[in-house]
Amino acid sequence: MRNLWTDEDTVEFSIPGDRNVEVLGTLRDDPDLAFFMLADAAAVDYGVDAHFEVVYHLFSWKHPGWLRVRARVDRSEPRIRSITDMWEGAMFHEREMYDMMGIVFEGNRDLRRIYMSPDYRSFPLRKDFVLPDDAADSPAAGVNPLERPETWDLSHFREAVAVTFPPSDLRGDAPGEGVEGGDFADSESRPR
Amino acid sequence: MTRTDPEPRIPDPIELDAAEEARLRAAAGLVPARPESGGEYAGFDQVGIPDRPPQTDREREVYSLDEGEMLINMGPQHPSTHGVMRLVVKVRGEIIVDIDPVLGYLHRGIEKLCENATYTTVLTYVDPMDYLSTMHNEHAPAIAFEKLYGIKAPPRAEYIRALVVELNRVFSHGLMMGFLALDMGGLTPILYSFINRDEIVDMLSAISGQRMLFNFFRVGGVNWDTNDEFLSRLGTWRSRVLKNIEMNEDMITGNEIFRSRTIGMGTLTGDQAISLGVTGPNLRASGVPFDVRKAKPYSIYDELEFDVITHEGGDSYSRYLQRIAEIKQSIHLIDQIIDKMPHGPVQAQVPGIIRPRPGRAYGAVESPRGLYSVYAISDGGPTPYRFRMRDPSFISLQALPKLMPGRLVADTMAVMASLDPVMGGVDK
Amino acid sequence: MDFELLLGIGRFLLATTLLLLLTVPTAFIIIQIELKVIASMNLRLGPNRIGPSGMFQSTIHGFKVLAKEDTVPDQADRGTFTLAPWMVYMAAAMSMLVIPFAPGAVAADFNIGIVYFFAVLGLSVVGLLVAGWASYNKYSLLGGLRSAAQMVSYEIPLTLSIVGAVVLAGTLNFSELIAWQRDHGWLLIWQPIGLGIFYIASLAEINRTPFDMIEADSELVAGPFTEYSGMRFGFFFFAEYVALFIMSGILVSLFFGGWLAPWPLPAQLDGFAGTLYGIFWFFLKTYFFIFVAVWLRATLPRVRVDQLMGVAWKVLLPLALVNLFITAIAVVVFDL
Repeated sequence: MRNLWTDEDTVEFSIPGDRNVEVLGTLRDDPDLAFFMLADAAAVDYGVDAHFEVVYHLFSWKHPGWLRVRARVDRSEPRIRSITDMWEGAMFHEREMYDMMGIVFEGNRDLRRIYMSPDYRSFPLRKDFVLPDDAADSPAAGVNPLERPETWDLSHFREAVAVTFPPSDLRGDAPGEGVEGGDFADSESRPR
Repeated sequence: MTRTDPEPRIPDPIELDAAEEARLRAAAGLVPARPESGGEYAGFDQVGIPDRPPQTDREREVYSLDEGEMLINMGPQHPSTHGVMRLVVKVRGEIIVDIDPVLGYLHRGIEKLCENATYTTVLTYVDPMDYLSTMHNEHAPAIAFEKLYGIKAPPRAEYIRALVVELNRVFSHGLMMGFLALDMGGLTPILYSFINRDEIVDMLSAISGQRMLFNFFRVGGVNWDTNDEFLSRLGTWRSRVLKNIEMNEDMITGNEIFRSRTIGMGTLTGDQAISLGVTGPNLRASGVPFDVRKAKPYSIYDELEFDVITHEGGDSYSRYLQRIAEIKQSIHLIDQIIDKMPHGPVQAQVPGIIRPRPGRAYGAVESPRGLYSVYAISDGGPTPYRFRMRDPSFISLQALPKLMPGRLVADTMAVMASLDPVMGGVDK
Repeated sequence: MDFELLLGIGRFLLATTLLLLLTVPTAFIIIQIELKVIASMNLRLGPNRIGPSGMFQSTIHGFKVLAKEDTVPDQADRGTFTLAPWMVYMAAAMSMLVIPFAPGAVAADFNIGIVYFFAVLGLSVVGLLVAGWASYNKYSLLGGLRSAAQMVSYEIPLTLSIVGAVVLAGTLNFSELIAWQRDHGWLLIWQPIGLGIFYIASLAEINRTPFDMIEADSELVAGPFTEYSGMRFGFFFFAEYVALFIMSGILVSLFFGGWLAPWPLPAQLDGFAGTLYGIFWFFLKTYFFIFVAVWLRATLPRVRVDQLMGVAWKVLLPLALVNLFITAIAVVVFDL
């Protein structure tokens, strides 16, 4: 998916993820380039076997067309440096990218979920996200077991369904139990 | 579902007594409901504030209370407009110390939905994002998809697009005037704004069949041509609109109470605005002459004559004046468009399900709230591979925690109304 | 028992009962006026289903309020929670005693009528404070404190603004004041500044727009009335409109000649016809000012709380003092 066609009024190039601050800083500060405005920051998931990309669109008075900078992010360890020091308005962009894709922005002071509720444990815009009804045992699930009735252990029902309390050590091996592990300390929804 | 019990009963959490609740919370790794040692973190005592440890630095900063501070929830149900949003406001007496907007109450997962929808269906999904500027919501993806598909809309279609887009801008800005006054207690300007909007929306319903979520744009043009009903309503409206706007304006602009509540409030400098990502009339009211229609002309805007209007000052009053000036500018643009509109087809020949070439495209338009852009990636199939919308209200909302500290609680609504966010766009 | 005394007591009781009964339809009528007038200024219809052209809408509102569930917060102080609406309503009702409807048709024609009036009106502040405190709700408390601060601040310019009129007329009795206006011309000509200050301060005193911050979205709840529902809230609601009527009535009596007819017509007639004549003119003028207050509500946005207090202390109070000063000097110099 790297050498796709691009619309003619946008210049784009691709960088490795760890150089994003450097490249964007140069683009902004260099007086001939002067890309003073961050128009958009988006994240793209290229598939379960491929990588993520964080895509920045920039604007400058001196150049016709938009500039697209695509920063590759590794899918197994999705971390990239935050650009909130350069543009404060990137905060909500990054929070949304974290919420929807699970990309962790290092240096972002407020990396929490913005659209989904704070105890949500999946990343909806990933390509392997499935809603709980559809997927019994999806590897990406991180799904709240309370949404999957087959995991309800109704013989101990007083303990099973305290609404926000994940029943990690309270039940035996219900079917589907070992999927994302019963151990919520490893949940993906909190940044490390 | 594999239930074997005949009557599975899900108990109400209230039935858990304190000991069991404490045990469950401990087992889940949550902190105890009442702190053993008095902590400064407010999460345990306040209703509606998260009772879990702060996840981020900023959250700890916002939710920790010093002497004399208090957290107030301007909850998702507002008497004021803009939609469902929750603002957690930390106040000391009457003065705001910090604000934390909590979003997501209107999140519909439009980006994900669009990955499973054909390109034409995507244009209907994006309508209810920023529901007050529907035509702009459709215009940006239409531009992106046309780039991907490699066609251009016929000239008449482009002119019609520009016409409806400017009409949409007129009524959206008119509504902002009304909402700003309404949030301050003036009951009448909002109704005058709705008169204007009603006339425009009747007109647009004659051309597109809908009053609010127009579903008018297609990849390659627009769906229907203008008809007699539309043109006659357009003529009637055009003869009355300037007087309508001025009638509304008279009630608000010179009003001393309104002025004293907006002049000097929520001042955003140009640099601050650019850094925060604020675009649109908010940015232009701070002096930066960035208008997508001039900076990166799309559609037929390079054939129309207009200037970029800016105001110095960057306060709420400037933003209000900016929008009024833009209404007048849009009416001027509409006049030019009507003069110059060519004959011709209104939609290019495209198949029902289009399969554009694999590629990436970016389409940006100037919506009444700012820079509205779509980044679309196609993989050659009938549905987009990635469909990303950048909504201006979402980003402009970040200005609120920067503008409000030091002001009174009563100003929150006024400043927010002057930034004119629409929650449909904020929450996608 | 002295027959005169009994008669006096009976007359007093009758008058007060009639007055209390008068407050309810007055409130209904004023609410109806507000609904329809604001609707017409908003270029819309307003209520038009209940009764011919919606005339009975506010009456139905009154019955609805009776039918609602009566909720008292669990930790609220039940006694004072119940007491607060009574206090506000009684302050309004008691101040109605001195309103001069017509020559001889004053429920209680005190010699110190004006002083009594302003003293009693101040009791509503206590009612609001009690409401805020008894609700056991920090938003109510803040709202109550804020509205109490507003009302107390505006009482001072309110009372000072009419001292000029009192000095000119030389009496604190409403009927004699109106008699003075009959002989010397309406006080609005003599005391224009006093009139202006009184009008603004009276709007702030009864929490009407543009000074109705406590009912606004300031903290997104209804200020001290948050926890009140049903008839308890009905009391507050009616008290507000009764207070509007009272303030308009006092404004009319003090500055616009009370029951007197305007110039070309005979100012006052005698006997029973005179009473009716006076009542007619009084109500006409009062309802005109109620209409003006409603008009202001439809048109103006709200003043912010700190600007509101600023106006009271920094503008109205000095102006009132200046007015008093000028009036006093004029009285001495021109021997009025």
